[in-house]
Amino acid sequence: MLTYVLRRLVQSFVVLLIVMLIIFTLPYFETNGILAPAYIVLGTHATPKAVHLWGVQNGMFHPYFVRFWNYLDQVFVHFNLGHSYKQNLSVWGIISLYVPRTIWLALTSLILTVLIALPLGIFQASRRNTAFDYVATSTAFVLYGIPAFLLGILVLQFFSFGWPHLPASPPGGVAAWAMFTDPAGFVLPVLTLTLLSIAFLSRFMRSAVLEVLVQDYVRTAKAKGCGTTRVLFHHSLRNALGPIVIILGLYFPGLLGGAVVIESVFNYSGLGIQTINAASTLDIPTVLGITLLVAILTLLGNFIADMMLGVVNPRIRIERSGQ
Amino acid sequence: MMDHFGLPPADTGVEIAEGLDTNLGDVIVPMWQQRLRIFAHNKLAIASVIFLVALVIFCFLGPILYHTNQTDQATALNSPFNAAPSTRHLLGTDSSGFDELGRIMFGGEYSLSLGMLAGIITIVVGTIYGMISGFLGGIVDTVMMRILDALLSIPLLFLLITLIAVFTRSTLFLIIIIGVTGWFGNARIIRGDALLIKKLEYSQAATAMGASKWHIITRHVFPNSMSNIVTVATFSVADAILFLSTLGFLGLGIPAPQTDWGTMLQEGSVQQSNGFWWEIYPTALLFVLLIVAITYVGEALRDAFEVRLLER
Repeated sequence: MLTYVLRRLVQSFVVLLIVMLIIFTLPYFETNGILAPAYIVLGTHATPKAVHLWGVQNGMFHPYFVRFWNYLDQVFVHFNLGHSYKQNLSVWGIISLYVPRTIWLALTSLILTVLIALPLGIFQASRRNTAFDYVATSTAFVLYGIPAFLLGILVLQFFSFGWPHLPASPPGGVAAWAMFTDPAGFVLPVLTLTLLSIAFLSRFMRSAVLEVLVQDYVRTAKAKGCGTTRVLFHHSLRNALGPIVIILGLYFPGLLGGAVVIESVFNYSGLGIQTINAASTLDIPTVLGITLLVAILTLLGNFIADMMLGVVNPRIRIERSGQ
Repeated sequence: MMDHFGLPPADTGVEIAEGLDTNLGDVIVPMWQQRLRIFAHNKLAIASVIFLVALVIFCFLGPILYHTNQTDQATALNSPFNAAPSTRHLLGTDSSGFDELGRIMFGGEYSLSLGMLAGIITIVVGTIYGMISGFLGGIVDTVMMRILDALLSIPLLFLLITLIAVFTRSTLFLIIIIGVTGWFGNARIIRGDALLIKKLEYSQAATAMGASKWHIITRHVFPNSMSNIVTVATFSVADAILFLSTLGFLGLGIPAPQTDWGTMLQEGSVQQSNGFWWEIYPTALLFVLLIVAITYVGEALRDAFEVRLLER
């Protein structure tokens, strides 16, 4: 098992290095190339000579791989992701300011999704091809066909400008704890993201449970007289958890992508809005820094999902320790 | 279908075609006819195809019949802004004075054609990459798959935003980046196919008879993974349209005088609190129907290519 974990860690690290190589290489395609930061530091009217001097001082003319090595050193040893072009903050400063808000949004809706979609999938699978199943499946299908931003617009329309009058504006400011001081504003963004996730995941949940329900051991359990509830929750759920855990791990980046759109719809100031603002003002270091962070989070999500798979499924655990 | 979450949906399997009789007695029916029969058996897919054809006619031929101020900014400025639907403007006007119905056609042209082009790039690149990786195998496969892992670990929306920030923005560029970032998942699927098919008896027989690698790829692997390629291509077009519109909504889409449905919905959502429903609902309805229709066609195609349903 330990060798498997180690091998998997090394693999993730190699992938991370490739991601960093891609992110490191992208600024070469900027209009001013790698010297673009010089114009930010020295002003737009800097003379070519001054820019060149700045480049020499900051090691911009070193060979490509030497610069990449310096970049790795900068990121891993000094946790320095560069300085924003537009805001008087380091990229790390921007991230640490906004990331808690995005994590709250993503995590809350992830938990809600699992709590709702898992029982829903089990219920749908056990009442397969009944009216309830058809209604749930087609609702999920329609929700799935609606792009994230459109669902946000519609939720806003129905719940804010329509009947119940939930506040359209999210908790203001940048405080990470704003969701507790203003929970009402937090409802709609979370609701939208949760609806999106359920639409996406309930299909997997349903088919994962269905796959299990036709297995021999479920028939055996029924034959020996187990009640429906026990068959569903004791025999089936545990075996259906495997694929669901994988999907959840792979789904994590999607959740962050969804959060970008939802933040934009509800003007919920978090990492997503920062990314979009940085992209439209050509604040390249901020965009690259956030992208790197999100990539690391994604790799971490995949890694955790892979480990969890061993926890919920003994067969995989044995297979892995055998190698 | 891959959506903004970058994952294919649960396999609905072959339930749709249950009760379909493909056994036509002793007459040997050509394979494509059997596939057509299975496809035609699915009423939803037929309805979707009809809807898609109608939508293309509406967007591309509609402007000939219904020509108002949808593209002319000068006349738009002289029109009332945010006007409610009337006989003069059937679906009202938007916040710039453009005729909404005409604008839907105009934006639809971009959404459809750009999505189509980006989807084609996606499937071509994905197929070539997946075929090479799966067929050559060994160290080449390992390296190519690790690169793919790296690309897949950057969430697609962030990757798109990053590329838009670094490179200049234009319509052509949008097609290219959506095409260039959308193929990762496709490459995985096609690689799986290539891995499987090269191990099958007929490929091995061809190798034994001295066929070149090129011959095996073009005559055995490629035709036999055609089913996946066609299905994946359909979903890729839906994805490309979704991503284009999402970027449009985030304000990073097609530059100003042109538009697409995502950009239009963004403009409409700004007016949302004023109750100008005509700036959101017609576009939104067509958009959702478009995505759902493409998904149905893709699922019906997958069933049509499902060998288990064919007469042996």
